[in-house]
Amino acid sequence: MSKENKTVTINIDDQILEVEKGLTILRAAEQNNIYIPALCSHKNLTPFGGCRMCIVEVEGMSGFPTACTTPVEEGMVIKTHTAQVQASRVEILQLILSEHTSSCLICEEKDECKEYMGTIRKAGVTTGCRYCPKDGQCELQDLVEKLGVKEINYPIYYRNLRVEKDDPFYDRDYNLCILCGRCIRVCQEIRIANTLAFKQRGPKTVVGPAYDRTHIDAGCEFCGACVSVCPTGALSEKVSKWEGKAEREELTTCPLCGVGCQIRLLIKKNEIIGSLPAEDPLVNNGQLCVKGRFCVAELVNNYQRLRKPYKTQNGTKVEIFLEEAVELSAEKLSACSPEQFGMLVSPNCSNEDLYIAQKFARVAVGSHNIDTTARTFYGTGFNAFLNLMRMAVPLSDVLKASIILCIGLDTRFGRSVVGVELRKAVERGAKIITINPRHHNLTMIAEKEFQPVPKMEVNLLNSLVMLTEKKKTPTSQFRSKRTTGSLSGELSTVAKMLKEASAPVFLVGSEFLQYDESPQILEAVEKLARNVSAGILPLPVQNNLFGSVLMGVYPEFLPGGFSSTGKERIDNLRKRWSADVPNFSSQWNAETLSSGSRMKVLYFIGEVPPNSRPPSDFLIFQNIYPPDISYEPDLVIPSAAFTEMDGTFINGEGRIQRVRKAVDPPGEALPDWEILCRIAQKMGIKGFDFSNAREIYEEISSLIKGFGDFDNTKRKANPMICEGELNIPETRPSRTKKADKKFPFLLSVSVGEHTYRGFPLSTWVEGLKKLFTEGIIDINPEDARKTGISRSDEVIVTSAYFEKIWSANILSEQTQGTLHVTLPQGESIGNNPHPVKIRKKDV
Amino acid sequence: MKILLKNIEEPDYTGSIQDYRRKGGYTAVSKAIKEMTPEEIVEEVKKSGIRGRGGAGFPTGVKWGFIPKNTDKPIYLICNADEGEPGTFKDRIIIERDPHLLLEGIIITSYAIKSHQAYLYIRGEFVYGANRLNSAIREAAEAGYIGKDILGSGYNLDVQIHRGAGGYICGEETALLESLEGKRGWPRIKPPFPAAEGAFRCPTIVNNVETLANIPFIINNGGESYAEIGVKNSTGTKLFCLSGHINKPGIYEFPLGISLRSLIYEHGGGIKNNNKLKGVIPGGSSMPVLASDEIDVSMDFDSLANIGSALGSAGVIVMDETVDMVDVSLNVAKFYAHESCGQCTPCREGMPWMRDIISRIKDGKGKKEDIDTLLDITYNVEGKTICPFGEAGAWPIRAFVNKFREDFEKHIN
Ligand SMILES: Cc1cc2nc3c(=O)[nH]c(=O)nc-3n(C[C@H](O)[C@H](O)[C@H](O)COP(=O)(O)O)c2cc1C
Ligand code: SF4
Ligand code: SF4
Ligand code: SF4
Ligand code: FES
Repeated sequence: MSKENKTVTINIDDQILEVEKGLTILRAAEQNNIYIPALCSHKNLTPFGGCRMCIVEVEGMSGFPTACTTPVEEGMVIKTHTAQVQASRVEILQLILSEHTSSCLICEEKDECKEYMGTIRKAGVTTGCRYCPKDGQCELQDLVEKLGVKEINYPIYYRNLRVEKDDPFYDRDYNLCILCGRCIRVCQEIRIANTLAFKQRGPKTVVGPAYDRTHIDAGCEFCGACVSVCPTGALSEKVSKWEGKAEREELTTCPLCGVGCQIRLLIKKNEIIGSLPAEDPLVNNGQLCVKGRFCVAELVNNYQRLRKPYKTQNGTKVEIFLEEAVELSAEKLSACSPEQFGMLVSPNCSNEDLYIAQKFARVAVGSHNIDTTARTFYGTGFNAFLNLMRMAVPLSDVLKASIILCIGLDTRFGRSVVGVELRKAVERGAKIITINPRHHNLTMIAEKEFQPVPKMEVNLLNSLVMLTEKKKTPTSQFRSKRTTGSLSGELSTVAKMLKEASAPVFLVGSEFLQYDESPQILEAVEKLARNVSAGILPLPVQNNLFGSVLMGVYPEFLPGGFSSTGKERIDNLRKRWSADVPNFSSQWNAETLSSGSRMKVLYFIGEVPPNSRPPSDFLIFQNIYPPDISYEPDLVIPSAAFTEMDGTFINGEGRIQRVRKAVDPPGEALPDWEILCRIAQKMGIKGFDFSNAREIYEEISSLIKGFGDFDNTKRKANPMICEGELNIPETRPSRTKKADKKFPFLLSVSVGEHTYRGFPLSTWVEGLKKLFTEGIIDINPEDARKTGISRSDEVIVTSAYFEKIWSANILSEQTQGTLHVTLPQGESIGNNPHPVKIRKKDV
Repeated sequence: MKILLKNIEEPDYTGSIQDYRRKGGYTAVSKAIKEMTPEEIVEEVKKSGIRGRGGAGFPTGVKWGFIPKNTDKPIYLICNADEGEPGTFKDRIIIERDPHLLLEGIIITSYAIKSHQAYLYIRGEFVYGANRLNSAIREAAEAGYIGKDILGSGYNLDVQIHRGAGGYICGEETALLESLEGKRGWPRIKPPFPAAEGAFRCPTIVNNVETLANIPFIINNGGESYAEIGVKNSTGTKLFCLSGHINKPGIYEFPLGISLRSLIYEHGGGIKNNNKLKGVIPGGSSMPVLASDEIDVSMDFDSLANIGSALGSAGVIVMDETVDMVDVSLNVAKFYAHESCGQCTPCREGMPWMRDIISRIKDGKGKKEDIDTLLDITYNVEGKTICPFGEAGAWPIRAFVNKFREDFEKHIN
């Protein structure tokens, strides 16, 4: 009898095995290294039993049970490779191949073809001549080889389905599909997105979104999970479909938002050919969003990557060696006084880069003039946002929460991994409440949704704050879609739900962040969280925002998040660094960049400042891509991308995560810290003789608590230490005018948040242009009708201060009387929201 | 001896509840609910020996006994009225002409399996039948046979009609369950069988219309008297659907065990135009054809199985000497290629290949090897599919080729 009823004893091919109860025959065999051919089965998905490759014989069972669906039972006797089973498998495989453009699998010329048919490879998948994009990774190929299929008794039948290329990121050639259903199951079971389904019947069966919609129209998140599980070339990544099989992989951290997903970089010949999710249960659990899954290779491989430094001399670019660039920088910086220096670093840089950058500014130049564009992104709400970050709880708390309040959050494209967790939470019985002035993808799972008109968010949140404190009746007007009774009734219900919830969690997205009232909104969120003892997880856009505070790349912050006005802290740093650290506070920051006085040297590391060249004598631009031609830096230095360097990031939860070098940087590019160290050394400054990221990390951990071992950073989230506040002008611009007769619409603006090192991702990643649209104005259908505007019309938007032209999108979810537009970072319209009028161009 | 057509064959019988009651209808329900325990009913049905009339012939009482005891989940009864098998039109007659007979069977069965919710899954094309059943359900509810506290017993039952959307495969019980749940009509992998995990993952019994229509008789007269009708292992009467080249096509009720010859020549009036018989399909298009020298078989489950065919749905399709079996098999193959659900490889790919190869042979483009390839496919499908549809498509083709090979060869030479 079996031990503790946890295992059963079975016999597979005369081997007596003790296996876990409840396993299928297939998994039991796999665990014991017994090979059973299988196609439709996948380790993370429920059994399907469709392909029939895994048939076996089981004593006492009639016919041929499928190993992938039959659970093991005590005493089961299984034969996996009898002559009859093998013959049947060959026959079944032939049937599959008869409908697969499979001549490539059994063609005698296949090896030659590989060498010489270069043109066909580029032409996409044709009717079956070799090359399919999955060549070398195709599970059918494996089976053909393992089962020794040499010929097919059936003529090849080409289904002649149109190859679907309309969607970004992947092509779908269902002529190659074997209907294993893995893509559908992953979409339904793992992503809970339900974009894909089987359509039609019998031999006409095809896979795809219902009603022949495109993936975009069907609500697809482009997470690529389907592409990853497809055993054939039916689903293939546009960018890397012909790259073949990766030679090796490297585990690293995605730098494209603050979630900090763990990704596996696929590498071939010193080039990144793709990225896949890693199974890190702490963060992304085998999932990625469209950015991490599909954008990394395109981002780091673009042909426009900077390879060599160049300087601008009499208006022309002159390419120089790195050594000369270092010398030139050292010369200019040595001659620069601390007040006349400014450095802007990217919160996409590693902790090591950031740490060196601020040490450079403080020690080599003797200035606190260092900042990031996070300051301009968060604007007046930056301190309030940092306050929320101080309270950050791990994302895994979502799993325990009975109520999750999502504020200004959309998870369709960015942060879709968070969306998956939310849908899982709902399946588990948790309730989602959303507050968002715009339409978003969580409405489908929301128990209650509030869509306040712009400027009413504060009222709404404050009402909730009051209701969760004392009994007070809030008065305000805003829209709540599912309300039947009065709104205040609805608010009381939600307040009650929040008060009674066990371990509620608030997730804060980026919708409100650019509003004039963002400080008040974020403060209200904080109060509400305190009232109901909720955990808060703000989801920063900048992947290493946490690190930027902790490394001290702000005039107000020293390493450790300590205030730079604290004399004691400064003295301590002087001791630690054995160097002078300036003791005067800085008046300079990213906000004053263009308006402030002319600087002698401006140094941009991974940042692309707004529109025109800020006033400066000498501008150093250090990045992975060249600057916009509208301003000419005096010196351009090529940096390494995150795939080309070692280091660490800290995600929004406060988790320190490793970045690992996968390939060499192009040309003379180097990690930012290394360039800075070279310049400092050239300037004769001590304390910059680091030879790798590990040494920097060690210096960081000697200064800041909680860092630990470079090789073993995978620990629990740290709370953010940040002492003091940023100096943010106390402009309380909430006196934004209301809409009136002259300007009857209230326009709200969000800023394109999908950037890397200052550039919008869509600059380098073609497919994103379809997903992240900027300069498109959302108009309610009724408003559109009244103003005679239809979809894609050019719309002239006028206010008391500006006139702009954007393209129209008619959207029923946009509240009447309001408009919305997303603008590139750096472009601003002044007050936000802003009263405007609209008319169709040429009318 | 008539059980199922007893009322229908009355000249003025309208099928209304008044007519049905006048003929003694709904007495079995009273008896069952008022005088019998559910267990006693199951016992009685077991004694009757009745086997399912949906095609597979599984003993009905035994199936009911598979419902887990003391389950805390709801139990469902589903009446399979999807009748899609070519050559079969028996359930439709009951539904359209004597709906209360079926409802009475459903009510008793629900009570016997302790179900409070019965679904009638009816073929989408049976619009008239669905309307008919709907009004019958209304009548029965008004008369207190359906609804709350039936006949004052405290027993509640709701009966609902669910119309299919036009897939033959949805007659297969697990595909039916998926379809009923609002999903794509794809057969499930078994086990678990519906009795353990059926509709909405709860214990479920699926029975054919004709099966259920026999239940009132069994309750009124006792299982033993039912078992006296017919032959050993095939008790009771059976509806036979005669079609094809026969003088008197139609629906007939006889005790199981009647000979196929007498069915065709005596009751069916013989072959049209006095032509010679070439072959006959005894149990709907899914069952292997019999050659003209095989018709002395007794029409019961075991005898037909013994000669390599099956009673199936008892759709008897008669074909005379003018018939080219290549045409027939093409027709059959086309049907199965069209109706395959597409879930498993052998069926999805195998059925169209059979169709295409037969079509090629018919067009005179066939090769000698094609005939054996055809046979090969039938073996590759058999036993390797998720549901019995695979065999339902493969067996008849194999029989056509084996029994009428010369028809195929004629096209090739
Ligand atoms: C392809 C296929 C089609 C079927 N179609 C029907 C049908 O139309 N009606 C039916 O009652 N049973 C049909 N069945 C049989 C059912 O699966 C099931 O066995 C039957 O409904 C059980 O009822 P019974 O035990 O009363 O016969 C079909 C089976 C298969 C494999
Ligand atoms: S597209 Fe790929 S994963 Fe999806 S069913 Fe077809 S072969 Fe399987
Ligand atoms: S959610 Fe954020 S960290 Fe994760 S893959 Fe997307 S961009 Fe990268
Ligand atoms: S045998 Fe045919 S009908 Fe049955 S599950 Fe497989 S493909 Fe579907
Ligand atoms: S792997 Fe088992 S049926 Fe496909």
